Amino acid sequence: MSKTTTADAAAERAAGKAKGPFFTEKKKSQFIDFLFVLPALLLLAVFTYYPVAKLVHISLTDWNLLNTEWNFVGLKNWKWLFTGTGAKYLWNSLKVTFLYSMGELFATIVGGMIFALLFKRMTKGFGAMRAIVFIPKYVAMSSCAVVFLWILNTDHGVLNYLLGLAGLPAVDWLNQKSTALLSVLITTSWRVYGYGMMIYLSAMMGISQQYYEAASLDGASKTEQFFKITLPLLSPTTLFLLVTTFLSSMKVFQSVDIMTSGGPSRATEVFVYLIYRYAMVDFRMDRAATSAVMFFIILLTITVATMRVSNGSVNYDS
Amino acid sequence: MRKLLSVVLAFSMFASLTACSGSTGSTGSATSAAATTAASGGAETEAAAESEAAEEGLYDVTEPISIVWWHALEDQYTDLVNEVVDGFNSSQDLITVEAQYIGAYADVNEALVAANAAGAGLPAVVVANTDYVASYGESGLFENLDPYIEATGYDVEDFSSGLLLSAQYSGKQVSLPFLHSTQVIYYNKGLADENGITIPTSIEDFDAFIEAGAKATGNYGLAVPGWDQWYFETLYLNEGVDIITDDNTCDLDSDTALGVTNMIKGWCDSGLAYLAYGTDASATMRQRFYDGEVFAVMHTSSLYNTYVDKCDFEVGMAWYPAASTGDMYSEVGGCVLGIPSKNDQATKNAAWVFLQYLCGKEVNMKWAEGTGYLPTRNSVLTTEEGEAFLEAKPAFQCIFDNLNLINPRIQNGAWSELATTWKNYMDTMINQGGDVASGSADMVEEINEILEDHA
Repeated sequence: MSKTTTADAAAERAAGKAKGPFFTEKKKSQFIDFLFVLPALLLLAVFTYYPVAKLVHISLTDWNLLNTEWNFVGLKNWKWLFTGTGAKYLWNSLKVTFLYSMGELFATIVGGMIFALLFKRMTKGFGAMRAIVFIPKYVAMSSCAVVFLWILNTDHGVLNYLLGLAGLPAVDWLNQKSTALLSVLITTSWRVYGYGMMIYLSAMMGISQQYYEAASLDGASKTEQFFKITLPLLSPTTLFLLVTTFLSSMKVFQSVDIMTSGGPSRATEVFVYLIYRYAMVDFRMDRAATSAVMFFIILLTITVATMRVSNGSVNYDS
Repeated sequence: MRKLLSVVLAFSMFASLTACSGSTGSTGSATSAAATTAASGGAETEAAAESEAAEEGLYDVTEPISIVWWHALEDQYTDLVNEVVDGFNSSQDLITVEAQYIGAYADVNEALVAANAAGAGLPAVVVANTDYVASYGESGLFENLDPYIEATGYDVEDFSSGLLLSAQYSGKQVSLPFLHSTQVIYYNKGLADENGITIPTSIEDFDAFIEAGAKATGNYGLAVPGWDQWYFETLYLNEGVDIITDDNTCDLDSDTALGVTNMIKGWCDSGLAYLAYGTDASATMRQRFYDGEVFAVMHTSSLYNTYVDKCDFEVGMAWYPAASTGDMYSEVGGCVLGIPSKNDQATKNAAWVFLQYLCGKEVNMKWAEGTGYLPTRNSVLTTEEGEAFLEAKPAFQCIFDNLNLINPRIQNGAWSELATTWKNYMDTMINQGGDVASGSADMVEEINEILEDHA
């Protein structure tokens, strides 16, 4: 009897469900929620996802920027990228970009940390010094690059002048394979130390003093306190700097364009400059698009991998 | 919610990818009817234009119009540019021209190609380095001027034949000669006289010239510009290297070509000369010459005024020495003037009027006198005006003596890519310690791929 009743009730519920209004309260609420995010979603679709899709599309054509007509060529550009001369420049630019990124990460994280420790004291004098270190971040990259062009000039640059005073020979900083990337990195470092310092300083202010007091009572030295308390508790900040700096450094272009134009012998041809060269020097939009899609995939993979690996080793206790 | 999001994103992907289903297409900017009509790349449009050329009034300017001219004449020429443009504007009732300095030729090229692809912001008249004539002609970016010339009876025969050819693509006059120059060697005449250094007429004597120059300055005897292959490609061409052969391959790895590369590398490795390449290469080379640190530089004749103004010693100008083959040709440099074909007809008509004025005999002499560019008109070169020009600039005698040896540039749509590759490899082989044989082999493999892809 009870079994029959239960089965009947279930059948009624099912029938009621089938006959009930399509827009239940829950669905209606979800739909309204969706409408709120729709404008943002549309902007994303138009300005982010559509261009990416369009890049994939262009990579399957033979579009030369000079021509208004193009042909569908299938995977020809992809084949060129992996097996033709494109492969050589792809790997070269990946290597250069990775080296540059490592350099910028080092300057931001290690340099920023050192400056943060040096200028931690909250006095007016230290405040002024912090401002001096931080100001370059707000100098436009193009202006900064032009100034460093002069500083690094072979014949009349300040750096070579100082080397001369020390009895050292002049260096052709921007035109030698061995020093060109380093020169660009010097320029970048000058701008990013202060940023790293400010981010670390604000994070350091958030670490409770109780940890240090307890450590002092236990006899821990300043060095031990730094490695056992400060550094671990700054790991979320380090992760933030690592991810944001890495992604932005992978997209470096301006300094390279102004200072070296990717040379000498492609020693500073970072990935974005390579894409620019294909599009605006060789007019090969098809190759530029193929390289850009490749770059997108690489960045996406690295970002996901970084987040997954680092999530397990970050301490949020502070 | 996730499903909805997926649908929206999938739809945007699908919308774009469906466009791949067709085998051919066109850029968004070109899909507009106006742009398609205006683009003269198609044979039909061209044929129609040519057949209508004779129609009276087709190229007349009938309404007031303002047009823009993009140029690459640097700051020191601002007064001259203003004088020329003001002269035109005051002579016109309907047309007003605004001159805009865009940057170096490469900058103008970049801006022009971008504007052309966007189908907006195009200038009515634009300068283009002779390098780009083939690309712009092949792609239809530049308007075919033949119908305009025919309709208005414009006398193009007065231009030097080599210069006129430089402004053509596949027999079509896609541009007109504007500011032209050629490759020359500037040398420190004071030092040359002081040390009894004679100007070499053959490549065999060039080593001694460089060596003596290096000894005289205590530094470099010669600077070879490497930032633009135009300066050294003549050395190859005169030795018999084709660069692009008849079967559309590159012969820069031939024994003859390797000989030229090794010759330049030899000069540089011995410290007697250097290949100026990279950041500020041109400015640095010039400054070193002004400062007496370099005895001679291979450069463009258009900078004659600049060299003379900046140097506190007498500047000599010489023709490149003859190759071992006896050839001593040079190539035309400088720029042409063209009209972007995507402009509407009214703009193109106004542009044609202005273009005729800019390339006219009177204005041409103004450019020649105010800059280091050559007069482009036969009627100037062979008349009293030409003699007056030579009297004012006697160093140009070496160019006037060899005018018939100035050849047009190699015209190939893949030239820009080829040139970039060549310059990079030259830097690698000469400045970065690379090996000439293996470097040239790699370079040619790459260039052949470019040529094949472009065929």
